[in-house]
Amino acid sequence: MIIYDFLYNLVFSITQSAVAGDITAMVISALLPLFILVLPFALLAVWLERKVSAHMQDRLGPMRTGSHGWLQTVADVIKLLQKEDIVAAANDRTLFNIAPILVFAGSYLVFAALPFSSAYIGSNIDLGLIFIIAASGFVVAGILMAGWSSNNKYSLLGAMRSAAQIISYEIPTILVILTIIMITGTTNLRTLSEMQTGYFWNWMIFGGAGFSLSKFLFIPFMLIGFVTLFISTLAEVNRTPFDIPEAESELVSGYHTEYSGMKFAMFFMAEYANMFAVSAIVSAIFLGGYQSPFGYLGNTFGLHWLIPIEQFLWFASKGVFFVLVQMWLRWTLPRLRVDQLMALCWKYLIPIAFVNLIIIGLITVL
Amino acid sequence: MSIYDIIFYLFAAITLISAFFVVTIRNIVYSAFFLLFTFFGVAGIYVILGADFVAMVQLIIYVGGIVILMLFGVMLTNKITSVAIKTGTSQIVPAAIGVGMFAGILTATLVNSHWRKVDTAPLLPTTQSLGLMLISEYGIIFELLGIILLIALIGAASLARK
Amino acid sequence: MKEYFQNIWYGFATILTGMRVTFKHLFVPAVTIQYPDVKLQLPERERNRLYVNMDDCIGCDQCARACPVDCISIETVKSIPGEDLGKTSNGKKKALWVTKFDIDIAKCCFCQLCVFPCPTECIYMTDVYEFSEFERNKLVYDFVTLTPVEREEKKANYAKLEAEKAALKAAGTPPAKPSEKVGD
Ligand code: SF4
Ligand code: SF4
Repeated sequence: MIIYDFLYNLVFSITQSAVAGDITAMVISALLPLFILVLPFALLAVWLERKVSAHMQDRLGPMRTGSHGWLQTVADVIKLLQKEDIVAAANDRTLFNIAPILVFAGSYLVFAALPFSSAYIGSNIDLGLIFIIAASGFVVAGILMAGWSSNNKYSLLGAMRSAAQIISYEIPTILVILTIIMITGTTNLRTLSEMQTGYFWNWMIFGGAGFSLSKFLFIPFMLIGFVTLFISTLAEVNRTPFDIPEAESELVSGYHTEYSGMKFAMFFMAEYANMFAVSAIVSAIFLGGYQSPFGYLGNTFGLHWLIPIEQFLWFASKGVFFVLVQMWLRWTLPRLRVDQLMALCWKYLIPIAFVNLIIIGLITVL
Repeated sequence: MSIYDIIFYLFAAITLISAFFVVTIRNIVYSAFFLLFTFFGVAGIYVILGADFVAMVQLIIYVGGIVILMLFGVMLTNKITSVAIKTGTSQIVPAAIGVGMFAGILTATLVNSHWRKVDTAPLLPTTQSLGLMLISEYGIIFELLGIILLIALIGAASLARK
Repeated sequence: MKEYFQNIWYGFATILTGMRVTFKHLFVPAVTIQYPDVKLQLPERERNRLYVNMDDCIGCDQCARACPVDCISIETVKSIPGEDLGKTSNGKKKALWVTKFDIDIAKCCFCQLCVFPCPTECIYMTDVYEFSEFERNKLVYDFVTLTPVEREEKKANYAKLEAEKAALKAAGTPPAKPSEKVGD
């Protein structure tokens, strides 16, 4: 943790207090991804979403704020900042105010464990994968809180649907992650990424590193696992076609119907942060995380400081690629009905993930 | 006082204060949400104690599962049955006896047990040893617990079908 | 069992087909017209904002009476003898000063009924359709070419003439000149 040490030494030399140094360094290095990654990404992603959806429908999308409307989201944020912070009389004021914070904190927690590059990972905890699953519990709680405190039937319905959906789809997610843990024997995302180093055929989706019979046996099942994980994580972040919690045509906009201004923006940001987090997890598990598919320029030219930067770029581009795929799906597919949603989870994804788990377990034993 | 002491007291405060509110507050939805923070604080304390896997499982099962289910129950039943969902006090004497006994047992254990005091022991990952223990030493208990849960699940499903 | 796998296969196949369609449309040129910069050619006989060519208006009030929503209000004053108001482009002699010709375009329903009765074809639809205003009273268009001072002058002139006539009548003398009768 270069950044942490630097900040610690800086504050320590000024105040001569280890605690002050620790606290400042912790707070700042914890906020760093928020400002250098989540906020710019949310701005970019909202703009991308508009442009992608527009072009898929043969429209142009925002064109007038900045060249091709790239400043549109900035303008929107400024507008949201100026908006009145409305708390209706029948809302439960305390919970209503805490809920967006909880939702955003929950989705931001995930970023603590994402391996951005070999040099920067918020917290290189041993249980990275499990931690990511655990963190999503806060999102569910926050969503339920928002729905309940809004005192509005649409909000409550949306929140219930969302919580039910996230809890159900957590099962296939965990099952797929379990297969990965079983093969690699690690839950540490950094180690997991390091295992997939080298070229792209070392990625988990191609059976992981090493050449043996089991690698080739893994490939089809890894593909199944990959698709299952992608679908179930897509459902966990409530994106179309799984956006029944905020189905505009029936629930206004679900659990954030009553919110305005910055609190609404927090939900929105949490959604986009979640999109990236989920894509990053999928790519970290199956597509080598921050590893480059073809080796590093830094190695070729002998510039070793370049490697972490390249890794960060690879990680970000893999994440953004999956975000784009999510958008692509969103503008392709109609929304599922509630029963279809549950059928997909319980009748298709969970059995498939389970059988996959068993087969991969058998192959691992071989 | 190091940073870890501060973090410990922070989590302890979160746990205690929210636990206090869980039992005192009248509104049951508030209670459930405070329970969430209690579990969160406990998970934090687990992490500081080096039990990272337990902490994560605490979060997944209690925060992500139990509390959510409780909230679901409250929210779904609240509007249907017109019973005011509030907590209240009844049966003070038996409760006091029970609580007193339980508190006595806890204090006795606290006083009599030999605490291992290890200063700044390196926090080793516990997941692997825990996993090995679960499937070797405590294998049968583990499986039995699984069966109990399965029975509970089937029982709940058949009750719900009636 | 067979159905189960068929469902999975069908699901994937349809999703991929859909994704192919949307992907293709990513590269289809957009049909959007960048409106204020690029404007569509309007059809020849479109009905938009009204315009009155006051040089030709004879103040006959026909348009105002044809209007179903009463958004045209016209006031005229007879000219006094000796004033030459000129002729309209189709050769009609003008005899009335139009001192008020307001069209409340906010009320107008663009039915074009006012256009046909006009004997001089001086009220007509134009192709201007961007005339939004922040205040509603700014949508009341005043087409009169006379300045406010001139309008008062014309009214005063006519009142004076009338007064003179009345005075003459009272004195028992026939009017020196019969006033022209135009309009109703
Ligand atoms: S177009 Fe119709 S509504 Fe408008 S002024 Fe003429 S007659 Fe009246
Ligand atoms: S009908 Fe024509 S000439 Fe007559 S008042 Fe209207 S605009 Fe003037």
